[in-house]
Amino acid sequence: IALSSRNIFSVAHRYMSCRPMSSLSEEVLLVVKKVRQRKQDGTLYLMAERIAWGPEGKDRFTVSHLYADIRCQKISPDGKAKIQLQLVLHTGESTTFHFSNESSALKDRDAAKELLQQLLPKFKKKANKELEEKNRMLQEDPVLFQLYKDLVVSQVISADEFWANRLGDINNADPTSSNNKQEVGISGAFLADIRPQTDGCNGLRYNLTADIIESIFRTYPAVKEKYSENVPHNLTEKEFWTRFFQSHYFHRDRINTGTQDIFSECAKQDEKGLKSMVVQGVKNPLVDLLSLEDKTLDEGYGFCKTFPSTSNSNRTVKESSNSAIIKRFNHHSAMVLASLQFLTSSTDGNSRDSDFFQPPVKKVKLQEVIEYEDLQRENRPKTVALNLKKSDRYAHGPVPLQSQHYTTSQDIINSVNYIRHEMLNYKPNLTQVLSSTTASSAIAALSPGGVLMQAATQQAINQMVPTEVQGELKHLYAAAGELLRHFWSCFPVNTPFLEEKVMKMKSNLERFQMTKLCPFQEKIQRQYLSTNLTGHLEEMLQTAYRKFHIWQTRRMLRKT
Amino acid sequence: MKLNIEGLLVYFPYDYIYPEQYSYMLELKRTLDAKGHGVLEMPSGTGKTISLLSLIVAYQKAFPLEVTKLIYCSRTVPEIEKVVEELRKLMEFYSKQTGESNNFLALALSSRKNLCIHPEVSALRFGKEVDGKCHSLTASYIRAQRHSTPDVPVCRFYEEFDAVGRQVPLPAGIYNLDDLKDFGRRKGWCPYYLARYSILHANIVVYSYHYLLDPKIADLVSKELAKNSVVVFDEAHNIDNVCIDSMSVNITRRTLDRCHTNVDTLQNTIQKIKETDAAKLKMEYRRLVEGLKEANVARETDVYLANPVLPDEILKEAVPGNIRTAEHFVGFLKRFLEYLKSRLRVQHVVQESAPQFLKDIFDKVCIDRKPLRFCAERLQSLLRTLEIADIADFSAVTLISNFATLVSTYSQGFTIIIEPFEDRTPTIANPVLHFSCMDPSIAIKPVFQRFQSVIITSGTLSPLDIYPRILDFRPVTMASFTMTLARTCLCPLIVGRGNDQVALSSKFETREDFAVIRNYGNLLLEMSAIVPDGIVAFFTSYVYMENIVASWYEQGILENIQRNKLIFIETPDAAETSMALEKYQEACENGRGAILLSVARGKVSEGIDFVHHFGRAVIMFGVPYVYTQSRILKARLEYLRDQFQIRENDFLTFDAMRHAAQCVGRAIRGKTDYGLMIFADKRYARADKRGKLPRWIQEHINDGSLNLTVDEAVQLSKHFLRQMAQPFRQEDQLGLSLLTLEQLESEEMLQKIAKIAHQT
Repeated sequence: IALSSRNIFSVAHRYMSCRPMSSLSEEVLLVVKKVRQRKQDGTLYLMAERIAWGPEGKDRFTVSHLYADIRCQKISPDGKAKIQLQLVLHTGESTTFHFSNESSALKDRDAAKELLQQLLPKFKKKANKELEEKNRMLQEDPVLFQLYKDLVVSQVISADEFWANRLGDINNADPTSSNNKQEVGISGAFLADIRPQTDGCNGLRYNLTADIIESIFRTYPAVKEKYSENVPHNLTEKEFWTRFFQSHYFHRDRINTGTQDIFSECAKQDEKGLKSMVVQGVKNPLVDLLSLEDKTLDEGYGFCKTFPSTSNSNRTVKESSNSAIIKRFNHHSAMVLASLQFLTSSTDGNSRDSDFFQPPVKKVKLQEVIEYEDLQRENRPKTVALNLKKSDRYAHGPVPLQSQHYTTSQDIINSVNYIRHEMLNYKPNLTQVLSSTTASSAIAALSPGGVLMQAATQQAINQMVPTEVQGELKHLYAAAGELLRHFWSCFPVNTPFLEEKVMKMKSNLERFQMTKLCPFQEKIQRQYLSTNLTGHLEEMLQTAYRKFHIWQTRRMLRKT
Repeated sequence: MKLNIEGLLVYFPYDYIYPEQYSYMLELKRTLDAKGHGVLEMPSGTGKTISLLSLIVAYQKAFPLEVTKLIYCSRTVPEIEKVVEELRKLMEFYSKQTGESNNFLALALSSRKNLCIHPEVSALRFGKEVDGKCHSLTASYIRAQRHSTPDVPVCRFYEEFDAVGRQVPLPAGIYNLDDLKDFGRRKGWCPYYLARYSILHANIVVYSYHYLLDPKIADLVSKELAKNSVVVFDEAHNIDNVCIDSMSVNITRRTLDRCHTNVDTLQNTIQKIKETDAAKLKMEYRRLVEGLKEANVARETDVYLANPVLPDEILKEAVPGNIRTAEHFVGFLKRFLEYLKSRLRVQHVVQESAPQFLKDIFDKVCIDRKPLRFCAERLQSLLRTLEIADIADFSAVTLISNFATLVSTYSQGFTIIIEPFEDRTPTIANPVLHFSCMDPSIAIKPVFQRFQSVIITSGTLSPLDIYPRILDFRPVTMASFTMTLARTCLCPLIVGRGNDQVALSSKFETREDFAVIRNYGNLLLEMSAIVPDGIVAFFTSYVYMENIVASWYEQGILENIQRNKLIFIETPDAAETSMALEKYQEACENGRGAILLSVARGKVSEGIDFVHHFGRAVIMFGVPYVYTQSRILKARLEYLRDQFQIRENDFLTFDAMRHAAQCVGRAIRGKTDYGLMIFADKRYARADKRGKLPRWIQEHINDGSLNLTVDEAVQLSKHFLRQMAQPFRQEDQLGLSLLTLEQLESEEMLQKIAKIAHQT
């Protein structure tokens, strides 16, 4: 694969979308004039949380995207007549800006690109995490998923409204998980992901993402060093990566490439690193091939091995390139592993440099190897299996509501003594007990067959209605519950925002009643089932409406 | 638990026992009773070592006069240490049960590199350097010099040991390598020499094969070991190669050049000594006239283990007159050297037998057979006399003299091949003289002759009958044991086709075929997606692996595999591979999952276990045939055919299959372990290949797992892995593959156990 001089190169950042709630500060970071959008001249603004464009002479933005909504930016290749920047949104839409200032178009575009490149990652992590979290919640919770389908997909409420207080819940519930985010390892194949694509006109195109760049840096610290040395003083970022991909370093199987390669030093450094790793030797004596053989044959004895001689002189170019590939894979895998090392802090307590610690590891490893765990009797303390005659009793037995506070035996003895003491001094206060008639009626009411113990609607709903109606009813309840929760959470209505919301929620409720509840009722009637099923739902809705009316009339009163 | 093995009380340090362990002990007991040799195959991970140790220790305790010593030979240092640790466990169990303190002495012996505690010497990296440096500090004449000039450096640990260490025997106990070092540090004694001295009266010695099989070392270390010892060769599936290696010699131009300098040094030293201390040389001459009577007497009275480099006949004779004086001998060496040099100046490959070589050397330079035979012995004597400090420097001339002795001693079983260049690089002259042993029985013969019982055991010895044939001995027991399993924890699959129906094979004709390589890549890719944690893949050779990796890289297959797991690859460099291995284990440990690409017959395939999550699947790409174009191999095959009536193809297949079995067997290291074994070559489906796999693998290959496509294999694997992922508890095994004492003693179980051993 030959790289032509016209490498087309684009650095794209991937984003998932999630809209931050509101943007209060509108600090403008960059203003670029003479930017055309849809053949209209205008000005591009890069602000703290969004990018916006307004046509010339007007003070409102016709285009405005939150950074979190932007999946990636693309730029037109060098040499094209039009200098453009394209923003691809998470939704798939895209907006293209054409930088039309003749003198500084390229510079403008690059300034915007650079800034975006810095800004986008900040929104990315959060966006990604939230999206993942939402996805996970929906997957794990079928009820929630159904609710989502009922409310959001059928456009009763918007996705943001739906998530508004749910995400808050999880964030509050589990603050540790969001703070200690888990470090992610590097994919072994990250270099494979930047497989070059031909662009159809004799050039090659590599797609680099921020993830891949980070992977390269973490795996090959030497490259990172080079990067910080050279970018941006000597090379632009693009040139740096172009050279990286052209270098012998990247195509390790190639032998003859340019000599003034800035990465040749990296290769040397890697080589050195590899050598030092090899010289250090291995910790586990069982895998140390050098000390495996007890007594090697002296030189000159033995059956002649037909091993390829290692001297370079009589090896063909192909062979040495093959062995270079092999070395490279070993090194690459080792580096990928090493990049994980700081995550799994090695706690084997074995410093490699001192011979003093060596025997213990060896002993442990040897013991591990000669262990036959199944030949030994298991040593863990014997447990008695719980043998339940009536398991449902065990499962539905009384459960303490709160976590029990356990007392020491001394406490128990003390309290027993105390109770005994109390009992000794106990004198019934006979004037304040129930009369015998009330007491006996209370007992009667609580006995089986009594008023309070009647199995009220034991002829349960599950025997009266078909299962699919039950399922539907359940969904309706869940959806209504969700809407009502939103509705009631607006009270007390003390901000304009809540006011707006409560109005909206009321209309949502009405819409729900019209589109979901009424059809259901009709269906039930058609099937000659008791209409009693939706009574409670309606009651709940009516209560909400009543509340709303009260609130509205009060507001009207206040206004007038 | 305490077991009754045909009347022998055996203490077994576990609460439960596998049925096959019981069966194994039975067979072992019968072998010892018969005072004969045995070949026993039992899958790894079924507690072979502890069964061996338990039974033999019990036997030693019951019949202390019949079996005085157990010599346990293993292959690698970690294996040796493992054995000693298991022994420690057994001995602790003994003393807990009987309440008596342990009166056994058991120790591990290893090279100086692993035992030295001298601060400077032990810091050296290579075994050879350590040996050389140690010799320069401990040789007898160095120490003698110290009496006159006290500033000659010596090793204080050796001095201390020499002064007091021999008087009191090492107290009873179990000494691993580290324990010996600790003991040495405490007492200030050299652990290496202490261990070498102590093996003579130890009850159990654990060391590596070479100490018995390599005549150069065996002569130093093991020749005085008692005759009524039991010798165990564990992991013995490659024992024939070890034997051959220890008797083969390769001579290059570099060797000859170094030899030349050696001879010059000898000559100068002789000259110097002649001027200063002529008496010394005279004394040597007198000794040589008397001949090697001493050694002869010792061997006849059966005190020493015979040395194949020092054949019986020459012991009866005196060193021939023409090499008796030092100068004559050096002159003789020079002539021999010049002859070898002339032989290396060849343009084409020469192959000849030892008698042909001897005739040629007599014709050309008038060197007789007789002085050649004494060459090794004569050189040793000279080096002793001349008080050469650094023996390691004289390795070249030692090599040549050993060659001289061997070539003149054995008219059969060896071949000489002179190659002017390597096959791969015909333009570069690099002449080599291979003197290769083709008969493994030569090196091991003294062991079989001397010791009353020799047990050859391993997880993979199939087909069993081939070992007695190539090692030339007659065993009293040959048995293969299966693994009793409560759940089928191994899943051998033979993948013969790709999804596009292309036949998968590593055979030479399709080696470069892109379709095969792509399908192999596809297999690995699919497996990497479904197998958890570690996958180990073996290739038939390093070159083959290099080529495949390169084309996978070009086709982007490796990139896709990287999405699933990290990739580590074996390299020819052992240190680099060790690091890759450690990283591989780390990646399996932390959940990343990894793939190790490795080579059959390589160090990884022979010495490293991939227990549990370190190897959930092993993929064997191709059949690991040895490189058949090698002339040495061809000669060996011919020899096998002529001498042992083993057909070439049979041997090649046997050799390939034992290596394949070794590779795939790496993943299963016990009954709680589980793993896939994928044989990716259609040739495995043939009965002649399949039939040579160990029985414990073979019996799990059914018709449904032959000649699968990649997709089918993936489906079967998924199913298998899902089943294996279910919890597996001790209770599931009890009564089937795990027995309590009561269960073991039931009549029914004993009948079942009798079927486990598969006699051949």
